[in-house]
Amino acid sequence: MIALKLAFKNIIGAGYRTLLNIAVLSFAFVVIIWHNGVIDGWNQQARRDTIEWEIGQGQIWHPLYDPLDFLSFQDAHGPLSPSLSTQVKSGQLTPVLLTSASVFPQGRMQGVVLKGIDPGQTILKIPSQLLNTSDYDLPILVGKRMAASLNLKEADQLLMRWRDKNGTFDAIEATVAGIFDCNVPTIDNGQVWLPLERLRTMLDLPNEATFLVSREANVPADIAPWEFKDLNFLLADLDMIIQSKKGGGAIMYGLLFIIALLAIFDTQVLSIFRRQKEIGTYIALGMTRWQVVGIFTVEGTVYSILAILLGAVYGIPLLWYTAKVGWAMPAGTDNMGLSIADKIYPVYGTGLILFTVLLVIIAATFVSFLPARKIANLSPTDALKGKIQ
Amino acid sequence: MENPAIIHIDKLTKRFPVGNGEFTALNNVSLQFEKGEFTGLVGPSGSGKTTLLNIIGSLDTPTEGVVTVLGQSIAGLSHKQSAQLRNKHLGFIFQTYNLFPVYTVYENVEFALLLQHIPAAERRKAVLDALEWVGLTDKINSKPPQLSGGEGQRVAIARAMVKRPAIMLADEPTANLDSKNSHHILQTMKRLNEELHTTFLFATHDEKVMAYLDRIISLEDGKVVKDEQIVHAKN
Repeated sequence: MIALKLAFKNIIGAGYRTLLNIAVLSFAFVVIIWHNGVIDGWNQQARRDTIEWEIGQGQIWHPLYDPLDFLSFQDAHGPLSPSLSTQVKSGQLTPVLLTSASVFPQGRMQGVVLKGIDPGQTILKIPSQLLNTSDYDLPILVGKRMAASLNLKEADQLLMRWRDKNGTFDAIEATVAGIFDCNVPTIDNGQVWLPLERLRTMLDLPNEATFLVSREANVPADIAPWEFKDLNFLLADLDMIIQSKKGGGAIMYGLLFIIALLAIFDTQVLSIFRRQKEIGTYIALGMTRWQVVGIFTVEGTVYSILAILLGAVYGIPLLWYTAKVGWAMPAGTDNMGLSIADKIYPVYGTGLILFTVLLVIIAATFVSFLPARKIANLSPTDALKGKIQ
Repeated sequence: MENPAIIHIDKLTKRFPVGNGEFTALNNVSLQFEKGEFTGLVGPSGSGKTTLLNIIGSLDTPTEGVVTVLGQSIAGLSHKQSAQLRNKHLGFIFQTYNLFPVYTVYENVEFALLLQHIPAAERRKAVLDALEWVGLTDKINSKPPQLSGGEGQRVAIARAMVKRPAIMLADEPTANLDSKNSHHILQTMKRLNEELHTTFLFATHDEKVMAYLDRIISLEDGKVVKDEQIVHAKN
């Protein structure tokens, strides 16, 4: 307690030098929380959107299905077993059939993936019911990115060409029944959604699917030889992207943090040099050397506490404001292949704040200790004479 | 009644490394100091008086010989034990006062008691008593930069005496003071010596200080060249 009291007095008494250190450290503190809050907010939003729009609570894949290998689509399908069919009927699963195809917008040719989905499904947020309500011969749905890249709008016609299960080419004019807006590019870019039964007919694959989306997280019974993929597996890529973004951000705020810590380190080195007589006097009055080391080390802790308090003064309203109004993403970020909303709403969890507070306190204390430990070896008579070099 | 010796110095030698060689600051010094002495170590610069004071104050250790303060051998003390000796039994007064500039007068004087974990009420009484002794009760909220030289040294005396130490070690306490303030400080210390029987050891070459001393030990090149008792004429 004595050390804490003395440290407070010494720091407050040090004036502008203290203020500068505290200001820089508090800025680093707020930036760390803000940046991690943005990443966490993005992570939560991206996971939520991906679950709601693309993967449900898990998927059951045909054993040959590899979403990263377009060539696998030709063979990655199979009939639903009675058990799977029962779960589809009960609404626990919804099947999706897919194949690679070509479309010809404005005379150009572009490769796409045709995805058949049950218009009545309610597991995913894709507005598949639009495929039921339209009067078009072959209604299709595309996402806003796909519509933009093909220059499509509702009611436009699109020529599609595909090969059925025998490898025979066929083609048809489809009509855009709806354009949906979602943050998950993997169900949008290069994809055309159409009624499942219609695609089964087109491919001559009755009652078949490539994968099924599950409403529940638990593994459905009797799915062999199909394979259940849980959320950990399906979100692994997203998690990896988020982690790499966190790592990249950590470099940025790490540099800022290091600058703040260097300022404290420098201040402490200078402080020990300038306060030699004070150090000698502490010892002469009956403090042990390590108690004096404690005073100087605790000064670093006090820097961090004051920085946290200052950071709270302007950081709380600032962070609260950003959490409320969100952070608008620059134009073009929705085409980066990542699930990014137009606005990211940072999430400042208790764990994040506690972690950052502890990080700032421990780091500031440590960098104060580094120069202060020199005191433990000094001669008090040299200190009283101001002879420390 | 026998007046017991509280400091024994036996064949003390202190050498400091200087470049590739050594400098002998104290050479085979043997002395004793009894309780209640008002003694000065006098001599020119480099004679070893501050070094002797530092060793008695357990801020330094002998190279050879034995120094025993209040029954404790200085050479055998750990850092913690010597810190306890200084904290409980020794008071220091420095030439440059060495007050903590960011603390008030009250806090400067209170500091030594904080280290002894004395309860707040008891602490407050002791601090106010000490400040009353040195006549600075009106300055308790001032900070050292706001004090004159004489006031600063009186705060230093209050800080040293507040814990009622057995021995006060004063290194050139009047060197930065004018004549009037020097006499005021010396009178205060003499009064402490007479009323509380605190032992005072000075390192000085100030004639004004010597006029108050009861015993003068002259040092030259690290050796005791004269040790004389002074008999003051009674007014």
